[in-house]
Amino acid sequence: MSSKYLMVRSIVRPEKVDTVLEALLEAGYPSVTKIPVFGRGKQRGLKVGEVTYDELPKELLLCVVPENDKDFVVKTVVEKAKTGKGNYGDGKIFVSPVEEIYTISSGVKQE
Amino acid sequence: MKEIMAVIRQNKVNVTKKALSDAGITSFTATGRVSGRGLGLVDMKVLKGAEEGDPQAISMLGQGPRLIPKRLLTVIVSDDWVEKTVNAIISANQTGKPGDGKIFVLPIFEATRVRTAETVTGASGGNVLDSSGGLE
Repeated sequence: MSSKYLMVRSIVRPEKVDTVLEALLEAGYPSVTKIPVFGRGKQRGLKVGEVTYDELPKELLLCVVPENDKDFVVKTVVEKAKTGKGNYGDGKIFVSPVEEIYTISSGVKQE
Repeated sequence: MKEIMAVIRQNKVNVTKKALSDAGITSFTATGRVSGRGLGLVDMKVLKGAEEGDPQAISMLGQGPRLIPKRLLTVIVSDDWVEKTVNAIISANQTGKPGDGKIFVLPIFEATRVRTAETVTGASGGNVLDSSGGLE
């Protein structure tokens, strides 16, 4: 593989998914996979009065992008997925290396 | 060890499971329904139609990005099994039309078997991955 690829996994609020996806599409990153997930963060879930929510519903977005575009994609997701200044529960983004990519329809390895 | 993530068509899960077990990879994780989009074939068609002034295409614009339901398979194998696994997935899923999916190969640094708390790191799965290459 001539240029390196990275997988950007973003955990975002379900109501922010459409905004994020639209922004990515417009910026030229149409490819994405969306997985509904449940989780909690540092705040150990959410407490509303008497009721505690141990796990909150989120959406996990997988995008695989060239190394050089990673900063832009991360910036776009951060911009679009945040609800305000330092609100808890806006989510996290993780970036990991991808070593090989294959397109199944052609069976071709991405170079 | 490598993690092989494959996004495939929904109706290909059973064929893929069979192909993997035929190739000797018995263990994998399937994440239920995921949805996604690829190079935006659907959107591009709509966009082109809208540019040409097709009223139906114009009415389809602005409804947000469309996502297509898919399945996600995750297989963890030792390094020398990667090629075999990828080939098995490709041959089971290839229809030649866009939308067959993508396969990503990512590194895994450590694996632990919960039952015995054995831990391995590095290229081969050692005892933790079973002899057939997958996590037991």
